[in-house]
Amino acid sequence: MGGTCLSFGFPRMYREAGERRDFLPPLIASLASTGCDVVAERGIGSGMGFGDHDYLAAGARIGDEAAAYAQDVVVVLRSPARFDLLNPGTTLVSMLHFPTRQSRVAELVERGLEAISLDSIEDDDGTRLVVNPRAVAWNGLEAAFQALSRTWPALETAERAPARVLIMGAGLIGKHAVEAATKFGDTFRAAWYSALGLPGVEAITVGRNLTGCERYLRARLSTIDILVDATQREDPSRPLIRNAWLARLPEHAVVCDLVVDPYLLDADPPTVRGIEGIPQGDLDRYVLPPDDPAWDRVPSGIPTGERRTVASCYSWPGVHPRECMELYGRQLEPLLGTLLERGGTRGLRADGTPLERALRRGSLRAWIERPADLVVV
Amino acid sequence: MHKEAGERRDFLPAFAAVLERAGADRIVLEEGYGAGVGAGEAEYLGAARRLRFGTLEDCLAQNVVVVVRCPSEDALERIRPGSVLVSMLHYPTRPARVELLLARGIVGVSMDGIEDEGGLRLVENLEGVAWNGTREAFRKIRERHPHFDHPDRRPLHVTCLGSGRVGGLAVHAATRYGDPRLREELAVKLVPGVEVTVVDFDLTRHEDYLRTRLATTDLLIDATHRLDPTRPVVPNRWLADLPEDAVILDLAADPYQLDLEPALVKGVEGVPHGDLDRYVFETDDPAYDALEGGVETKNRRVALSCDSWPGLKPRRCMERYGEQLEPVMELILSRPADTWDAAGGSHIERAVARAEVARWAARA
Repeated sequence: MGGTCLSFGFPRMYREAGERRDFLPPLIASLASTGCDVVAERGIGSGMGFGDHDYLAAGARIGDEAAAYAQDVVVVLRSPARFDLLNPGTTLVSMLHFPTRQSRVAELVERGLEAISLDSIEDDDGTRLVVNPRAVAWNGLEAAFQALSRTWPALETAERAPARVLIMGAGLIGKHAVEAATKFGDTFRAAWYSALGLPGVEAITVGRNLTGCERYLRARLSTIDILVDATQREDPSRPLIRNAWLARLPEHAVVCDLVVDPYLLDADPPTVRGIEGIPQGDLDRYVLPPDDPAWDRVPSGIPTGERRTVASCYSWPGVHPRECMELYGRQLEPLLGTLLERGGTRGLRADGTPLERALRRGSLRAWIERPADLVVV
Repeated sequence: MHKEAGERRDFLPAFAAVLERAGADRIVLEEGYGAGVGAGEAEYLGAARRLRFGTLEDCLAQNVVVVVRCPSEDALERIRPGSVLVSMLHYPTRPARVELLLARGIVGVSMDGIEDEGGLRLVENLEGVAWNGTREAFRKIRERHPHFDHPDRRPLHVTCLGSGRVGGLAVHAATRYGDPRLREELAVKLVPGVEVTVVDFDLTRHEDYLRTRLATTDLLIDATHRLDPTRPVVPNRWLADLPEDAVILDLAADPYQLDLEPALVKGVEGVPHGDLDRYVFETDDPAYDALEGGVETKNRRVALSCDSWPGLKPRRCMERYGEQLEPVMELILSRPADTWDAAGGSHIERAVARAEVARWAARA
């Protein structure tokens, strides 16, 4: 990494109790080794078994929350709820979701902040560079198979037919879901079942040209043990699976929600979930049986009469926080190194190196300066 | 230095510009370079001031030699000791090549071996493997299926063996007929799409199950990564259950090595091994006869196999490789190989150091 002197702050996240993720010592060490001042908030990494001494050993100083936010570049996975601890001119590096968070963008601009949204850092082909679709798929399927083993004890008997998983959507997450499904969402479970001689899994994937085919879908649902939503809908105001169709699923079937679209009924047009009526979970609670109170919190007017056990989590990668942060740390290391070499966001050139170009694409500046006719889907 | 006539891949002019920016004093391209990807001499000369065209000997005499497919043994002998060779070297399956590189003192950097700590390849075009193969397979199915474009036909059934990275990409491609434009065209006509069923070894090893599945399959894709390449996943006799008009697509592209004991065979037994010159095999193709004696080929379906699927779209492939290699070449041109640090340094430096032949051999 270069030698330009920027300081970095790593605050903690205060979300639900189940949110245990923080950036890990190796990322801090890679920055500190360049001579940069790195401040980590006291208690960082404690959700994953790390202590302040691990971060001190990596070269960080330990400070309070305000100190962590008072640096040139502030790196925190999920967006802070408030930006008042950030000084004007600071660069916030976080999952900021510019396209769907207009009020957040406005506040960043109003406060004179620079920002790089981790979810918008893309290479020249449009591939995200800080992303963990594998964990979304594997953690979701792991939870779904755990739930299935309870709703369908026959899963662990040799007499059953192969388990059937229907994956709607063949994109980035769907692709990982296929692999996860064929391994029961967990390589240990797969090895154990294999040793017992249990039949494996048929992972059936359908794209848009069949998910829109009601006759096909209703017939297929009756044969399915786990139904996975990994779609990217063109029209999020319409569900793919009507709540009434869930009646076709066997009673023991589990619905696995990897998309986690919210219900936004006040938006224009409104957003509803791909599988109508299912509740949304979070890191505190992501397996929701048919009698779970979460069903009662689904907005009124959305039918919820047909219910199956649902596995849903707003942040699937956080289920296994350490693995998640190891990956994000590896992905972020060269990007922060590039940011350092360029002396911050203002130094990023549109015709620079591939990583520089990717960082620039993820910046608030690029988002604000995007062509007016750019359509965001 | 192309291996077959259908091999059209060469790095694009933009890559020459990258090399010059990275500090190359002299860039030599073999006469005729770029013709297969539609890039002329003037484009290359315009992209890099320190570039010239020369003979193959000139090219092999440089400090760094960059070529996608590994040069022949004869050409390797002509590379100077101490030079860096950046190519798809496939160390694990080419022990003789590793020995030759080490013996000659050539600093091999295997493009297929440049991986991050998570084992993810940094220079690859698996998307090209999956999409190009799947597109060609559906072209063949469309030719043979009388109602392919008809809204009343049933969904097509694809069975994909293997759920790794190529398998996952093949699933994506297959749900789109390997061709997004065809998919849109058929969607407008309300033609039912494609159902792709992926099965792994815990199902493929059950003959009854797999034969039943094959009986309802329109396209069988081999995207396996076998632990034991001496045993097929689908023995040839099981193919008897595959409908007569079904198509087999070989994305794994494992070669037959019948002179070894035990012999190495393809995942789907009896499928011929293709290349960029010839990758579609009708059931009466002489390529089947060439396998007779070593491999059972009694049950035949139209099969597609190519040892270099990305080469079907050479320009796209080389754009991708060029972009992926940019940081690699920056390192190679800035520092001698013996200073690359496999444990420290940037993520690229660590990955390149691990892909260097001497360090790889020491680990192996």
